[in-house]
Amino acid sequence: MPKWNRRNVLKGMLGASAVTVALPLLDCFLDGNGQALASGAPIPPRFGTWFWGCGVNAARWFPERLGADYDLKDELKAIEPYKRKVDVFSGFNCVLGGKPNLNHWSGIMATYTGACPTTGGMGTGTAEAPTIDCLVSDTIGAGTRFRSLEIACTGQSSVSYSMRAGSTINASEVDPVSLYRRLFGPEFQDPNAAEFKPDAGLMLRQSVLSSVKDERARLMRSVGAADRMRVEQYFTSVREMEQQLGLMMERPAPALACAVPKAPVPAELGPVWETALKTHDLLGQLVVMALACNQTRVFNVALSTAASNLRKAGSAVSFHELTHEEPIDDRLGYQPESTFFMEKSMEAFASMLRMLDSVKEGDGTLLDHSLVLATSESNYAKLHSIDSLPILVAGTAGGKWRSGLHINGRGDPSSRVGLTIQQALGIPVASWGVGAMATSKPVSEVL
Amino acid sequence: MLAGMVLAELLLAGSIGTTADAAEEPATSGGAAAFRRLTEVQYQQSIEDIFGAGIRIPGRFEPPLRSEGLLAVGDSKVVVTPSGFEQYELRARAISAQVLAADRRKTVVPCDPPSSNSFDEACASRFLSHYGQLLYRRPIEDDELRSVLSVARAATQQAGDFYQGLQFGLSRLLVSPNFLFRVETAAAAPGIGAAGRLDDYALATRISFLLWNAPPDAALLGAAASGELGQISGLEKQVDRLIASPRFELGIRAFFSDMLGYEQFDGLSKDPAIFPKYTSQLSKDAQEQSLRTIVDLLVTRKGDYRELFTTKRTFLNRNLGALYHVQVGNEAFGGWMPYSFSASDPRAGILTLAAFLLQDPTHEGRSSPTIRGKTVRELFLCQKIPPPPGNVDFKLVQDTHNPLYKTARERLTAHRDNPTCAGCHSITDPIGLGMENYDAIGEYRIRENGALIDASGTFEGKPYRDVMELEQILHDSPRVPSCLAERAYEYGVGRTVAPGEREWIKYLNQRFAREHYALPALMRIVATSVAFRTVASNTLAAN
Repeated sequence: MPKWNRRNVLKGMLGASAVTVALPLLDCFLDGNGQALASGAPIPPRFGTWFWGCGVNAARWFPERLGADYDLKDELKAIEPYKRKVDVFSGFNCVLGGKPNLNHWSGIMATYTGACPTTGGMGTGTAEAPTIDCLVSDTIGAGTRFRSLEIACTGQSSVSYSMRAGSTINASEVDPVSLYRRLFGPEFQDPNAAEFKPDAGLMLRQSVLSSVKDERARLMRSVGAADRMRVEQYFTSVREMEQQLGLMMERPAPALACAVPKAPVPAELGPVWETALKTHDLLGQLVVMALACNQTRVFNVALSTAASNLRKAGSAVSFHELTHEEPIDDRLGYQPESTFFMEKSMEAFASMLRMLDSVKEGDGTLLDHSLVLATSESNYAKLHSIDSLPILVAGTAGGKWRSGLHINGRGDPSSRVGLTIQQALGIPVASWGVGAMATSKPVSEVL
Repeated sequence: MLAGMVLAELLLAGSIGTTADAAEEPATSGGAAAFRRLTEVQYQQSIEDIFGAGIRIPGRFEPPLRSEGLLAVGDSKVVVTPSGFEQYELRARAISAQVLAADRRKTVVPCDPPSSNSFDEACASRFLSHYGQLLYRRPIEDDELRSVLSVARAATQQAGDFYQGLQFGLSRLLVSPNFLFRVETAAAAPGIGAAGRLDDYALATRISFLLWNAPPDAALLGAAASGELGQISGLEKQVDRLIASPRFELGIRAFFSDMLGYEQFDGLSKDPAIFPKYTSQLSKDAQEQSLRTIVDLLVTRKGDYRELFTTKRTFLNRNLGALYHVQVGNEAFGGWMPYSFSASDPRAGILTLAAFLLQDPTHEGRSSPTIRGKTVRELFLCQKIPPPPGNVDFKLVQDTHNPLYKTARERLTAHRDNPTCAGCHSITDPIGLGMENYDAIGEYRIRENGALIDASGTFEGKPYRDVMELEQILHDSPRVPSCLAERAYEYGVGRTVAPGEREWIKYLNQRFAREHYALPALMRIVATSVAFRTVASNTLAAN
């Protein structure tokens, strides 16, 4: 009987002869304290954003008590199982500083880019600066196949809040079948496969991209000054693809918890809430496995567009319309129909936390090794209010972030949360944001 | 005599600006030359035109951006993101593999290599420079060809197959920014004041996408190569050829699909529990009906654009017949039949057709007079409606079940009593309320929640009782044709009208009126104008 220790298993796997190892991989791949791979590389941190539209009822969502002993109101009840892994932020504002409040746009861009936008509304518009996922992926995303993955749950690929600045979004995947093909189709290399044979065509595909770069100089001379940035963005995308192909030619590092999921079957997409939540879970599960399999380290989820079109089947009005038009129930003190969607949104977020937390990695879970920033574009969508935006951060980035707290920002810009996230993830940045959203004050309670 | 000869010589030598019509054209400053990402349709059309029909084009395209009222303007602002490029790369490989598959390569490769497993430089050059020119919409330069050939050579050597080598070479052309974007090259032109002008290939491309929504064909590229496009007579000849072609219809469909916001039909849904007649097929049929109506009036019959608001003539299929309560006979079985609404039928003009009435992605269960009014203002009158202000209290707008406010008019009137809201809603709602006789999918109704619908209002100071009277007022409003002229120009140049072009736009409107608002004439004036190829000197690339 051979001795199963990490040295022997690795020797078998990485050696010339192919050895098949059953999944899931054993903890013997870890070093003694469960925070690093045997190679010495630490378990990588992951980062995600999770967006829902049309805000909350503040009195039913924000806890009363600050600190670790915070209370869960009805609208946050869904996250109860993960409370110790979730921070709640209240009192962090979108500070306009004289810019217009672009309905269903300013709030989300403030938190995601640290800058209030100047054009947009109803869930689309321009970004004055890159969204935080782009900044994070520039640092922690290198070395994975995909810079980041974007998903939207209502069937519309134009619903995405990931932008490089300007007016182009990083479009979302909306169909589990196509996302599966992209992630786990023929180009997927199982990081735990015993054998590794890079595709001979990869190098030729790289040579195609390297040759395209020959066109850069002439193109930069032919376009006007305003378009040179757009030419640069094109070539940046080419270089990222080149790197992606380069990675595919290398033997992938083993990924502790990677288990290739089953291919999903085609299903209906759309804004009816049951459909959207089902889609969320299907897409979410694929994203979670893409993280576990080291295909990406950054993801962005949009449950719906900011002016949320989620609705009940057979109902004449969507969530967004309800927030503006539904009367407040005198007895309850809130809009019951709108509130239904707010509670469903938090259930969906809890579902994402469950999926992340159920993947074991080292002495913790994938959720523990991640930071997930969840937020909406409004505090109270009925009035388009953007003070005290509802913000949650889940996970600990592998112990670099203190979770389980309720923290009040007392009216500070919501960019403080984004700055803190960047610092926790090791990005050397001392200040972040533009104009009234600029800050150099991280949320020290969580660091 | 001598002076006359000099003049004649000048006329021959001079480029555009020498015929009677063009002589009255006011000089313009021009705007920036554009760098436009091909749309999904333009990409597909390019592949079909260049390699023939039947090639499957896989992958997801990046979403378009509507800017200043047009996707064509947004195309000049969007970039290619990393995930978007990943899709272009995948697409390029799939297309090249099909083009060079054994059954098709005979028709596309103009030569036979001595051996199919070694590299034939001469044959590869012929193939790649031919398709390079069609894809780049200009001749491929020597250094560009060398770079592409080196890819093909390396691939041939590795795969031991010449056609595999060509496949990689073709993939290389298909992921090039010179294909994926329309690169408009321009140079200083002392002849037309301080402004520069597009080169003939860039002009050919502008003309071709304006009139056909497709890349220039071999004849048009030939006219650019020979210098024919630089002469007014040659330019007119080519523009007239394109307008006379059946493909002009594709161009007009593309223009109106953009101007009328038809990308909003993608993923459009209406609640089937409330509107059992709604299916995604109905929304496709509705678009097709409006486009057929537009093409019939404006292209086939070369009619007056303003009649689009009053015409009783349209086309129906069985699906739409059910929506409009019209018996559609067997002649339309599985297809379309021309149809004229009777004088008593409450339909006439494009605003009473289903495509306009159901095109509202934000309301799935009811009609929104606000959105409809805003759509008319923005699409047909080129007016901008400001977004609602922040921190508005919507208390006054009540739900559809409120017994006090049964109709949309009652609900919105309550809303409009609030002065914060009144500013914009008084601009949008009266127009939209005029269309309340049609529900969210365009079915006719006279009551909502049991109450009679009042569709009356005033527009530009003129009263109307229903949407058809409103359409008559729109027909008579000078803003309607001037909006079309402006949009056609902006669509062609991929940007909004520059301040130094305002006088020219006035001139364009006058010419359009003189042509009795005929669309082919408008497109001809735009495509043959000096303004269309003029580029602002301060935006010229630093060569």
